[in-house]
Amino acid sequence: MMRLVLSCRVTIALTALLISLAPVHELHAQDADSVRLAELESRIEAVTRELERMQLGRDVVEADSSIQGLGPAASKVYRVNQGVSLGGYGEFLYENFAANREDGSGSGARNQADALRVVLYVGYKFNDRLLFNSEIEIEHAKESFLEFAYLDYRLTDQVGIRGGLLLAPLGLVNELHEPPIFLGTERPLTENRIIPTTWRENGIGLFGSGDAFSWRLYVMNSFNGTKFTAGGLRGGRQKGAKALAEDMGVAARFDYTGTPGLILGVSGYTGETAQGQELANQPVGGRVSIWDVHLDYKKRGWDVRGVVAGAQVSDVTAMNSLIGLEGASGIGSNMLGWYLQAGYDLLRTSASTHQLIPYLRFEKVNTQRGVAAGFSASPANDLTVTSIGAAWRPVTQVIAKLGYQIHSTAANTGVNQLNASLGWLF
Amino acid sequence: MTIAFASPISAQSLTQDEALTLAFQDAQLERRTAFLDDEQVARASTLAGPDVEVESTVVSYYVATRGGGPVGVAYFDVHRVRTLPQVVMLVVGTDNRVGRVETVSFREPPEYRAPDGWLEQFHGRELDGELSLKGAIANITGATLTSGAVTRATRRVLALHAVIDPFGAEVHDAEAHDADAGDLTANRR
Repeated sequence: MMRLVLSCRVTIALTALLISLAPVHELHAQDADSVRLAELESRIEAVTRELERMQLGRDVVEADSSIQGLGPAASKVYRVNQGVSLGGYGEFLYENFAANREDGSGSGARNQADALRVVLYVGYKFNDRLLFNSEIEIEHAKESFLEFAYLDYRLTDQVGIRGGLLLAPLGLVNELHEPPIFLGTERPLTENRIIPTTWRENGIGLFGSGDAFSWRLYVMNSFNGTKFTAGGLRGGRQKGAKALAEDMGVAARFDYTGTPGLILGVSGYTGETAQGQELANQPVGGRVSIWDVHLDYKKRGWDVRGVVAGAQVSDVTAMNSLIGLEGASGIGSNMLGWYLQAGYDLLRTSASTHQLIPYLRFEKVNTQRGVAAGFSASPANDLTVTSIGAAWRPVTQVIAKLGYQIHSTAANTGVNQLNASLGWLF
Repeated sequence: MTIAFASPISAQSLTQDEALTLAFQDAQLERRTAFLDDEQVARASTLAGPDVEVESTVVSYYVATRGGGPVGVAYFDVHRVRTLPQVVMLVVGTDNRVGRVETVSFREPPEYRAPDGWLEQFHGRELDGELSLKGAIANITGATLTSGAVTRATRRVLALHAVIDPFGAEVHDAEAHDADAGDLTANRR
């Protein structure tokens, strides 16, 4: 009996002990799971942070710290990943000329297919303040040019200094001449003969921008005025190649950019162009002054732009004598050109990336609006061009254009042409 | 000639912390990560549109709260502009509209960088047909690649935001919603 009681007591005690121990065991197991879970969460957090660092870059994600004794903000530029930036643009152009001029006589113009330009953009950012930027161009499949090449140094967020082979900051096309940006198979004549796109010269200057404006102010070697013609200033460009720098010019530009999609601005240039040449032992100035007012608006399917540009040349009689120009072949003392262009994307409301933009451009250019006493103006240099066509952009960087140009001159010598072009930028 | 440098060059590059501070001054920030399955990625891709890449299955984002209630969420999107990458911070308000877009890092030449005034076009936008360069967003003449990159990034982030739904139901009845959303644009540089 006693053994039975003892046995029962032992059993009860053991059962009680097991019961009392069981929660402790489960608790320990739960604690271990919690530790493992926390450890896993910690590891996942570490992995995702590392992933974020790799995606965004360590200079973006890592906390500020001092480098080379500079404060955190100042030293930040030294953490920026350096590197080469590559890009490019180009265009092919086919021109089909009418057999007759507007006066009915034979035009003599031959149709032409041209690998007009292929341009490689190369830039290198040394740090957030200092960079190199350039465009190397092959024109007509065989002529190579340096379109621009300069160093930029940012003095502040808003102001920088720039030196090298610079694009003159005039008009709309000279600085922004990638084919997908402008409508029309050919660049406007105003920005070819009066603002001689692509106009680049060696120089140095300041550039800047604010919340609602941008500006540039350059000193550049001036034109070589002995290469001007009755057809405009284009021949006077020196393009940075051993450029005569006896005469320097000043170019400036101011744009209002406070409304997205709108650029409204003015630009100007002045400089003597005789480049040290003398006539009868007397120095010749040959000052050229160019001005322009421009507008560009692109929004909600509309693409509208307009430019008015004029140029005045002084000492024209002396310049003509220097060059040996006579009669109606003399340089114009006063030039004026303007155009207005509008297009609208017919596919604006479609879900695709494609754009189909019919456009119309009307333009008048006269490079001999005024001539020196004793010279005459050729009516053939008083042009009116109406361009009608359509541009198709499958994506914003690629464009195919088809257009018809009606050329008319005061001498009835205009030759109409049908153009087709392909353009791209990347 | 003496040249005085402005020591901070904040318009050139920001750290992630600086960008978050600009957007959510005095707010509590919580970093979260969403792990998306294939179906969620596909849904985000459809929402973003045909020309927008949505590929990442791991998306980290930052939820800001004040007084215990959410006021917005920040995403950091990295994408290539021409050759080099750009990092953009996009803040989405509790109304699921864009509250702020900030260029955090831009490696291409600064002349191609989107101006602050242009970025303000995105404020208040939601994921619809108008959020495109063919719609209400104007192109930057001369910086076409940047315009497209930022617009696509905004569509991508709003699409991911819709799928992740970081606020959940907790925010939809928040009474302080409008006032807090307004704070998102209050700290612009």
